[in-house]
Amino acid sequence: MAFLITCPLCGPRDAYEFRFGGEDKGPRPDPETLSPEAWCDYVHMADSRFGVQKEWWYHRRGCGTWFTIYRDTVKNIEVSSNDREADQ
Amino acid sequence: MFLKFNRLWKESPLKSSYDAVIIGGGLHSLAAAYFLASRHNIRDVAVIEKKFIGCGAAGRNTAIVRANQRTQENIPLYKEALDLWPILTKELDFNLMFYNCGNLNLAHSDAAMKAFRMNVATAQFHGVNSQLVDARQCKELVPALDITDRPRFPIFGGMFHPPGGIVRHDAVVWGLARGGAKLGVHIHQGTEVTGIGVKNGKVAWVDTDKGRIQTTKVLNAAGAYSAGIAFKCLGQRLPISVLTIQAMVTQPLKPLLHHVVSSGAYHAYANQTLKGEIATGAHMDPWPNYTNQSTAHYIKHQAEAIGEMLPCLRGVKFMRIWGGLADMTPDMAPILDGNVPVEGYYMDCGWGYFGFKSSTVAGKYMAQYVATGECPEMLKPFRLKRFEEHRLMGETAALVDYTANN
Repeated sequence: MAFLITCPLCGPRDAYEFRFGGEDKGPRPDPETLSPEAWCDYVHMADSRFGVQKEWWYHRRGCGTWFTIYRDTVKNIEVSSNDREADQ
Repeated sequence: MFLKFNRLWKESPLKSSYDAVIIGGGLHSLAAAYFLASRHNIRDVAVIEKKFIGCGAAGRNTAIVRANQRTQENIPLYKEALDLWPILTKELDFNLMFYNCGNLNLAHSDAAMKAFRMNVATAQFHGVNSQLVDARQCKELVPALDITDRPRFPIFGGMFHPPGGIVRHDAVVWGLARGGAKLGVHIHQGTEVTGIGVKNGKVAWVDTDKGRIQTTKVLNAAGAYSAGIAFKCLGQRLPISVLTIQAMVTQPLKPLLHHVVSSGAYHAYANQTLKGEIATGAHMDPWPNYTNQSTAHYIKHQAEAIGEMLPCLRGVKFMRIWGGLADMTPDMAPILDGNVPVEGYYMDCGWGYFGFKSSTVAGKYMAQYVATGECPEMLKPFRLKRFEEHRLMGETAALVDYTANN
């Protein structure tokens, strides 16, 4: 179920060149004020939403860049950030 | 021979209220509905399925059942599931075609043999028949195996689990649907759950595209879709990654595989169906999505793996490939919980690719949970809170790259 992912350096490439890096969960929580619940939420929990999500990818078999894209999980294709607003 | 076939269950109109609503029309839902009606006399139950029953993982798995799991919390659950097949066959008066041909799991290193030694000891402690076998015994069980040092991963030995085998998955769907419907369960196909209503911290109704249902009890057993439904309807986040897993069958052959054979090193398993096809699979694309798309990439990998494991199958053609969804948790164990985050809401999800073999037992205990409101002892280790308490189960010896965050 190959699809294309746009690497900021290399442009659109085959998805198998990349490694999925998880949903975008925002910045790592501050360790000073961290509760077990917040840590669990950051480490394990996911939205698993039907539709467009912001997510991390790593160009493993390429330039080694980490970056975010928007992808529609129902269609399994990369979409633009405008589609996310339309989706929600 | 030309009997007139009647429908196995009847269509019923969607009522405006039910004692319990079960989301999803797969095996876990149908089993829960059946056990609610047959064991707890709660017959005013609706099973809400967006497409048709058995359309998801219930009809897409490779039908293998076994109880040689790794941890002491999981084994009793799977053992009971295995014991239930003959009981349900009789009780439902429906041939589930349980064929306990046994599962042979291959080890390709001393480390793998050591891991099996622990698995076997745990299984035997819990009364599950599981044995260590050496390479020659593997060859005696499955003569088609190549036990020389020629293959990429030579066979060191294996773990043989005689009571495991294959069950006809569609028959389980039909048998449970008929059994439940006979007792009064309403199965609503082509109906989508669009929301769950909460009043004073309790479940009050379920919205569907066909109308609102008043209810105080909801069981989310929608398989791989449960995590997305929990987020959409209740904003609940779960430690689940939904990945597509693929399986395929070859052209039919004369009987040559009399056991289910699997190998972690090749990342492949194979069994011969009663039609003679070799059903094989195990691969998942490592990014979450809700499609059932399959990949040329994995047909090639599967051909290579099977050709090494069972060299006589080289040149045999694949006939069909399909994909289904697996909801993976970080510890490869399910989440079975109730009254989280709201009272009256129950979840049966996170089964990954163990959902078929566990379906009936999960349904049985979730029905007890929903009926009594008390968590059965059997399900207590599987609560959602374990992730926060960092008490993950060791269902997998080493964390594999299945979940997105590993």
